[in-house]
This record gives sequence, C-alpha cells and structure tokens, in this order.
Amino acid sequence: MVRVEEPAKGGFSFDLCRRNAMLEKQGVHAPKCLKTGTTIVGLIYKDGVILGADTRATEGSIVADKNCEKIHKLAANIYCCGAGTAADTENVTDMVSSQLELHRYATGRNSRVVTALTMLKSHLFRYQGYVSAALVLGGYDVTGPHLHAVYPHGSTDTLPFATMGSGSLAAMAMFESRYKEDMTKEEGMALVAAAICSGIFNDLGSGSNVDLCIITKDGVEFLRNFQQPNPRTYVSKRGYSFAKGHTAILSTKVIPLREQVTIEEGDGMAE
Amino acid sequence: MEPWTPDWTKSPHSMGTTIMALQYDGGVILGADSRTSTGAYVANRASDKITCLTDYVYLCRSGSAADSQIISDYVRYFLNQHTIQLGRPATVKTAATLVRELSYQNKSFLEAGLIVGGWDKYDGGSIYAIPLGGTALKLPFATGGSGSSYLYGFLDQAWKEGMSKEEAEALVVKAVSLAMARDSGSGGVVRTVVINEQGVTRNFYAGDKLPLWHEEIPRQNSLLETFTEAEPMRT
Amino acid sequence: MAYWSPYDNNGGTCVAIAGSEYCVIAADTRLSTGYSILTREHTKMCQLSDKCVLASSGFQADIRALQKNLDARHQIYQHQHNKKMSCPAMAQLLSNTLYYKRFFPYYAFNVLGGLDNEGKGCVFTYDAVGSYERVGYSSQGTGQQLLMPVLDNQLQSASPLLLPSKESATPLSESEAVDLIMDIFASATERDIYTGDAVEIVVVNADGIRREVADLRKD
Repeated sequence: MVRVEEPAKGGFSFDLCRRNAMLEKQGVHAPKCLKTGTTIVGLIYKDGVILGADTRATEGSIVADKNCEKIHKLAANIYCCGAGTAADTENVTDMVSSQLELHRYATGRNSRVVTALTMLKSHLFRYQGYVSAALVLGGYDVTGPHLHAVYPHGSTDTLPFATMGSGSLAAMAMFESRYKEDMTKEEGMALVAAAICSGIFNDLGSGSNVDLCIITKDGVEFLRNFQQPNPRTYVSKRGYSFAKGHTAILSTKVIPLREQVTIEEGDGMAE
Repeated sequence: MEPWTPDWTKSPHSMGTTIMALQYDGGVILGADSRTSTGAYVANRASDKITCLTDYVYLCRSGSAADSQIISDYVRYFLNQHTIQLGRPATVKTAATLVRELSYQNKSFLEAGLIVGGWDKYDGGSIYAIPLGGTALKLPFATGGSGSSYLYGFLDQAWKEGMSKEEAEALVVKAVSLAMARDSGSGGVVRTVVINEQGVTRNFYAGDKLPLWHEEIPRQNSLLETFTEAEPMRT
Repeated sequence: MAYWSPYDNNGGTCVAIAGSEYCVIAADTRLSTGYSILTREHTKMCQLSDKCVLASSGFQADIRALQKNLDARHQIYQHQHNKKMSCPAMAQLLSNTLYYKRFFPYYAFNVLGGLDNEGKGCVFTYDAVGSYERVGYSSQGTGQQLLMPVLDNQLQSASPLLLPSKESATPLSESEAVDLIMDIFASATERDIYTGDAVEIVVVNADGIRREVADLRKD
C-alpha cells in the first residue's frame, strides 16, 4: 500500500527553511544579510517615552554603515527601534506603518501602540522566527505612554524599560543600576544616552552615534545624532594623490558612437 | 572570523517557569513566578504569566512565550465573541476546551503548557491543566513549568480539600517560592490571582520579601552592601 | 551547540613598512573575542632583538607561546654565538618555528620588521604555517583587507603585472611613513570592528628603537 504524506493543515510551509538548513550543512552558504549588531533601548519617564539607538550597521566584521537610522516611524505618535536583519526590521516596520495608516482611515481615530504591537507580533509569529526582527516599540496614545519589547518569534514584553540587540546586556546594566520611576526628561535622556553609549563602547556590534526619540502627549522630538562620541581620531595633513598607471593598460579600442547610430526620421540630438 | 553570536539573540524566549493553580473553598487561586529567559539571560524579570481570558477566567502560561501568548490571544478573542453571542459569561470549561483544541490541533507547532482556572455559576471554581500534547485534565490543583517537578510531593502533602482563601493563597506563595529557590528557570516575584464569585483579586509578592528556604542567601540590591556589611579583618 | 575549538581569533591589525634606513612596525592594542572587548591596552608587538620587532594578530594564547619560544631560541643562539640574531636570521627562525607545528599550527599571523645587516629596513610577512617572504611593506590581521590596497597605492608598488618591478623599500621618509600609518589605522578603525582603542607604533633606525602610541576610536 502506498502511504501518502498528508500535508499539514493550514499555516505556512517551512519546507524551504528546512531545505536551506540542509544545504548549509552541505557547505552551501546563503547570501550574507546586513545585520545591525545593535544597541537599542527605550524607557518610560514622567511625561512619555524615550527611545534610543546606536548608528552602526555591520556585515560580518565590517562596518557597512557608520551612521544608519535604527529608529523607525510607525505613526505620528508611535516609533520603533529595530535590531536584527536590517531588511526584516525595515520591511516589517514599513508594513505595519502602512497598515496603521489604513486603520486610521477606517476608524477615524489615532493609532494605539497595542494595535502596532499586535500587528507586529502576529506577523513575526506567522514566520516562526525566520523574520529576524527584534524591536523596541514605544509610543504615546489615548491610554498613555507605552513601551514594549518584541522578539523575532513573536513574543512580547510590556516594560518600564527595555533593551535589545547585541548590546542589550551592556545597556541593561545601565538601566538596572540607574532607572527610577517618574524621571524628568533630562534624567531620562541622560540615562538612555548612557545606556546606548554602554553598548557603543562595550559591544563590537554597536558603535558611532546616539539617536534619541522622545514621544510625549504633545508630540515627538527626534534627536538624530544627539551625541557623537566617536569622531575620527587622525587625518593626515599630507593628503593623497593617486598616480595613474597602477593598472596596466594592455590594449585600447575606441568605438565612435556616431557610426553605431543611424537616425531614420526626426532631428538628431543637438551636439 | 565569524563573530560569535550569543544564543539568546536567536533562540526563542521560553518561560522556564513555575505556574500553579489550586481550588479552595469558594474559588481558585492561580500563582506564577515572573522570570522569562533566553538561555542564561533573564530577558524579563517581572513578566506576568497569568493572563486574563474573560472577567472570571485566567490562564497560567509556560513554555515558549510566543506560542503561549498567541494561544491566549486567540482564546481571549474567541471567548469575547462567544460571550456576546451567548449573552452571558463563558464558563471555565468552555475556555479550557478552546485552549485544549488549539493546543491539540497545532501540537506539532506549539510548545506551551497551560493551566486554565476560573469561576462560573455552574461548576464554581475549577481548574484545567492542559500540558504539551493538548490533553485537558480537570484537577483540584495543578502545577506546570520547569519548577513543577519540585512541587508534586509538596502539594500531595500540603493540599487539603476545603481550604480557606487565606490558607490557600499562603500555600500558593509558599509553593512557588520553594520552586523558585530550587529551579534556575524560575525567579523574580510571585504573582497570584484569586478568583471567586465576588470577582478577581491580583496580588504581588516582591522577590526580596519572600521567605528564605534552605541555604538561600538574603537578596542584595548591590554588591557594595556585602562589602560594607563585612566585618573588617583583624589580626 | 557549537563544538569546542582549540582556537579563537582575538582580532587586531598589524602593519610594517620598510624604508631605506628605517623600519616602522605598528599594531592596534585592542584584544577582543566575538562581540566583546577583552582589553583595550594589549600590545601585539614583541621586541625579539635590538633591531627586530615582531607584530602578530590571531589567537593571543598561541602568539604568546610563539613569542616565548622565539625568545628561548634566541637566548640559546646568543649563548652559542655570543651575538644577537640578525633580522633575516630571526625571520628564518620564525618560519621554521611555525612550520614545526604544520599540523597543529600556531594561529598567528605575523609581520616581522627591523633592520638587516646593511642597516636597510626589512619586512617579512608570514602565513600561519611558516611560508614567508621579504617585502617592502605588509599588513596582517582583521584589517588586512582594508589596508593592503591603500598601502599598495601609496607605497608605489604597482601591479606585479607591470615591468620592470620596483624597489621594495618605500621612498617615503620616516615621518611620512609614521603619518601614513596613523592615518590608515584611523581609517581601518572606522570600518573594522576588531581594530581600535589605540595604535602602537615602533620605529627602528640607526639610532635605535622608538615607540609612540596614538589614540583610536573606542567603539
């Protein structure tokens, strides 16, 4: 008797994921993704939420971008820091941002943070961790300030302070030792910046500058490059000249374009 | 060189957990610790593993955080709809059946051990344990999570039928704190939910206020305290 | 679960440039593993004799073992010959020492710099199992891929396809070479996560050995 493998009822097929894992075992490597080995954080203070991020993007051990933006806008009152595969964090946040906009048109109300949270977690859960986006979601809505951590497998935490990415332990050390409830804006900004700097200096996956985003009832303050603690250390006064002739010219052939084109009707282009 | 990525950046969040529920005279009490970990890293030390399903039914979650959250989200959604269609509150049995159905039908994709507890006017306080494969067991008391193995014998001895609310809650806090002391996957604070005809009460027992069991060391907020408290060395 | 490995890579970058009467050897001082910095002030350099400096990146434990081995061998040489080893002799010794462990290699990528018997700057560059070559300049370590094209361009050693081949010692003056090294290390630090904290520059010339340290980015 022939046994027929019954296909799984409903849900997504992850056959290709299994295939990819098998190929990898045989030595075939998938193309490298741009990963943001990252420090991202957020905290709730007296009047709202402060999000923070470093600005280094890495590709293996090479710094691919020294000043990238990791704080994404989801709505006027909701922002989201992303860690993990850059493509995943950008696309997930863009998708949710557009879904939220449509939702606002449908309901005629401002977006809530839980709505964004539910959209993010259901998408990430559906992809069973293969969409590697680790997020810190913060915002201020009709129910007050909110801060959530979202993990690639779709689980979420609701917290007064949260950190994510490869620098999350370094950043969490700052929060665990210095966080207190109902901080002022200045105290909050200083603590978030200190947490990000802790990641920048102690985690090799994080670096360059500190971005901040302060979300309150009255609006958003996006402080791009709030701190720049890593200027270039040395610039040669000599300058560089690049002499010709470093590549050998083996032969030269010039093809005049005029002979390749015949104009059949209309005017030729002015010279 | 491939930079070594620590396992907690990739591995899913799991709740190495202690959860439990028990019946008392007039209702049920649910209890849980508050630790969520990824490998050796405590990702959340104050998580709430006792989730609301309806006004009178709550759910204790263990296993994968993502899986148990999604199950509770779906069941809450179904029960809300069910309550509106029925025009009266859903029973604990209905809630447990829905949880069991999701766990059973998707058993190959899920890793969630759950305990449903609540009160309704037909059965009074009742508890259903729904472990990994998707079976539902109606029990007078139930435990779950990695910490549960430390509790079976203790509860067999300590649980009695017809306990008062105070007795029962003290037992829950004692049991969860015992498991927290032995199980590295459990820790933080103890959260309880008391459900009876009058409604729901949530209680919180701070980690540094819990009793110290055998060979436990008092909690320190800062290592500096151990230095200042130490007697100066004398010759 | 990952398998245990007897090796680690502690990162870092080494560079050496030879001039007609000097040699500059440089390395950053960051020691790291994975995404963590172990220390920000660890020297990758080792002075093997009065005219010979070794800079190594790779696995710190192997590098240390290699340095001690070379030191011991040099001590014996001095007892037997009543003189210090010349830089080219040390280069050959290093090659032999590396090849001795052909099937359980020292995970060490070395650049040896100094003055030869005529007082000219010399640089020797190695792979992990002892293949070596005398060159005018070289770099090794995690920043190698970033630095090498710049050195090729600035030090005028054009493509090997071009004939006639050029003199291996750079035409730069000593101060120009030091300036170039400061600049390329600052550049490598911008893009290589394992290079940073500080750069240690050692200059060997007829006057002796001089050491300078310059700050680099610490992120």
